[in-house]
Amino acid sequence: MSDLAQNTLDGLFLGSSYALLALGFTLIFGVLRRVNLSFGPAVMFGCYAATWVNLNFGAGLVLLALVTILGSILAGAYVERLCFAPHRGGSAIAAMVASFALWMQFEELASIVLPRHLYDFPPLHGGAPLAFGAMTLRIESLVMLFAALLMCALLWWILYRTRFGVAVRAVIDQPQAAQLAGINVPRVFMLTFALASAIGGLAGFLIAASHEQVTPMLGMWSTMKGLLAMMLGGLGSLPGAVLGGLALGLLEAHSQWFFGPQNRDLIAYALIFILLAARVPWMTTRSAS
Amino acid sequence: MSLLKVRDVVTAYGKIEALKGVSLEVAQGSITCLLGPNGAGKTTLMMSIAGILRPRKGTIHFGGEDIAGRPPHAIVARGVALVPENRLVFPSMTVLENLNAGAYQRGDKQAIAEDIDKLFARFPRLRERAAQQAGTLSGGEQQMLAVARALMSRPKLLLMDEPSLGLAPLVVEEIFRIVTELHKDGTTIFLVEQNAHMALKVAQHFYLMEQGKVSFSGTPGALAEDEVIHRAYLGSSKI
Amino acid sequence: MDDYAIGVLTNIGLISFLALSAYLLLITGEMSFGQQAFFGVGAYAGGMLTAMYGWSLPLAALCAMALGALAQFLVGLPTLRLRGLYFAMATLAAAEMARILFELFHFQRQLEGEPVGPDGSQGFRGIRWVFEHGVEPLEYLGMVYALLALALVAFLLVERSRLGATLRGVGEDAELAASLGVNVTRVKLGVAAAAGALAALGGVLYAHHNTYIEPRNFDIMLGVHSLAYALIGGLGTALGPLLGVVLDIGALEGSRVFQGYRMIVFGGLVALLLIWRPRGLLDERAVQWLRRRFS
Repeated sequence: MSDLAQNTLDGLFLGSSYALLALGFTLIFGVLRRVNLSFGPAVMFGCYAATWVNLNFGAGLVLLALVTILGSILAGAYVERLCFAPHRGGSAIAAMVASFALWMQFEELASIVLPRHLYDFPPLHGGAPLAFGAMTLRIESLVMLFAALLMCALLWWILYRTRFGVAVRAVIDQPQAAQLAGINVPRVFMLTFALASAIGGLAGFLIAASHEQVTPMLGMWSTMKGLLAMMLGGLGSLPGAVLGGLALGLLEAHSQWFFGPQNRDLIAYALIFILLAARVPWMTTRSAS
Repeated sequence: MSLLKVRDVVTAYGKIEALKGVSLEVAQGSITCLLGPNGAGKTTLMMSIAGILRPRKGTIHFGGEDIAGRPPHAIVARGVALVPENRLVFPSMTVLENLNAGAYQRGDKQAIAEDIDKLFARFPRLRERAAQQAGTLSGGEQQMLAVARALMSRPKLLLMDEPSLGLAPLVVEEIFRIVTELHKDGTTIFLVEQNAHMALKVAQHFYLMEQGKVSFSGTPGALAEDEVIHRAYLGSSKI
Repeated sequence: MDDYAIGVLTNIGLISFLALSAYLLLITGEMSFGQQAFFGVGAYAGGMLTAMYGWSLPLAALCAMALGALAQFLVGLPTLRLRGLYFAMATLAAAEMARILFELFHFQRQLEGEPVGPDGSQGFRGIRWVFEHGVEPLEYLGMVYALLALALVAFLLVERSRLGATLRGVGEDAELAASLGVNVTRVKLGVAAAAGALAALGGVLYAHHNTYIEPRNFDIMLGVHSLAYALIGGLGTALGPLLGVVLDIGALEGSRVFQGYRMIVFGGLVALLLIWRPRGLLDERAVQWLRRRFS
């Protein structure tokens, strides 16, 4: 019973970073109606930038978080200009394949600048985990959960209490009506991309700090987790992204416990395939361009 | 005096030219109407003026400036608003949010609130449904919302694409009553309509469009009404 | 020709099957991130039949193609009504499932005192039919390209025929095609089976060329690459995907100039190319232009 509770807790913590990744993906998908295959790699770029700063100058956590976020925004802007802006009214496939091409660029750049397979990343918290009866609670996990919640609250505030948020929601809801209402849609695309990259950057920082390492696999890993969580929550729905992320975290924690790590991923993919094949309404309501 | 001057506009979808050189004018302070059969290119023309489509050739002069090919938000900024065919509201936003979105480019909060009040006075059904999601409104209510949203930008020129489409006769009358009221208040209106009978009752000038070109220009009464209706629905029978 | 060049050319040929498989789906309007799974099915099935059960390569290849067709058919069936991105994600999920299943697949036979067969993530070594039957690298290369040429001829014939127009019609507007009497379900399932067979053929040839395969070979990177080759080379003709493969593997692998930052250069070029030509180099317009020029 306490195992169940521990796994649930761990799943929620894991899920909170998945939720952030999924939010980033979903923002881009909801607004631009495209999947950005370079989302994870842009996040990795930010993490590597922070790693490089840490290696050469040593720096505090807050500064590293900022570097990660800024690095991700910069990488994201590059991707947006080259892959998404030029194909705005046109082919979704071309945009996606272009984003894949840039993914290759990011991976190679990372391996050139920081060639080792693994780099240390400073931990979120150096101390020992807390104990609650039979359960243990890592401080890092609490920080991660808290940071994720804060980011969600910030995103909510942006979307529902600012003029920019009105524009974003309008474009998500009905892009042509948004144009007619005088919203500068290309600019909304650009700024949404920056926002999504920032969220992804924060997620990347939290993940790197909580695992205390970065590897070149971080790019692909973030992309896969973000995509999976977004799909679970229903493509294009922001609250769905959060729920999908948490669900994925819970699913992974529990299935890993019962079935082992390989089967864990197998179960997640099988679930998504089944949900898609069954055309469960919440998963298939948004048109993909 | 012309508020809008369209000259030789050609707009194409890939290789297919929907507009083959359209020229017309909309006089300041008038209600001008564009009639024609389906597929004539009327919606394409509206979209070209509003900036959603980019003309391949020709000019569109508004207030002395050529706006052809400019992005939609720049055209709204200059005082042109389009109420599109099939209404296009923001379905998951409330009626109130829809109206605020229409005022997106404005910063004068006080005036925006006053405008919303005025619009609610003009469209009392919208006031009743202010907190309701726009997607749940009836067809007629959505049409009114679409018009109201367009008006929130205080346009000098209001473009309307088939506002009576799919609406019950009583609602259609209401729409045209509103069009007349707006006209009296000084808004210039350029109206695309299938309902030639109602359109001719309110317009000062009308154009007939067939197969991507303007085929007739005149005042209501210049052509016998049944000939106009015939050509508006079926196109010219002259081969 | 030195061994390195033969190796590169053979590789181009093998991957071309995969690219053609992705291309076939693309022209009927389906974007698949999962063709690498059927490539893997072909590789494993073909390898097992020759290395563990002594089948001849041609027979094993035929059987592998049938299995690949069946596998893709089985994936295509539940996903028939999925469009665009949803279909792509479903294929991705299916392909990753396949890869994980390869990792969990342990099935070996004792042959002459040695265990032979797939050993999970340790891979499957000893697929040596080619060596045991004295097939020279150059001969193998010829065989691969002979089969590829056959496939290309089939494609070019189909493209000129009514079937080709039907396929492209479904790709452009499935609803319109259906209203014109096309049995879209049958088309999509038929295309799925054909694509699966093509990918599997590439896979079985790949397994016998490399003599060793492991699950990691068949990951999402391979799948997205094959999609990219099809798109970059051009969707106007079956020669398009080949062009894409040649450009990546051939030009940049062959030229040592960009060693170390090859992907940075190639990735940038691809993104720029797609801005200029969103449907690839040999897109429908280019093909029409070429046809008019040479007829």
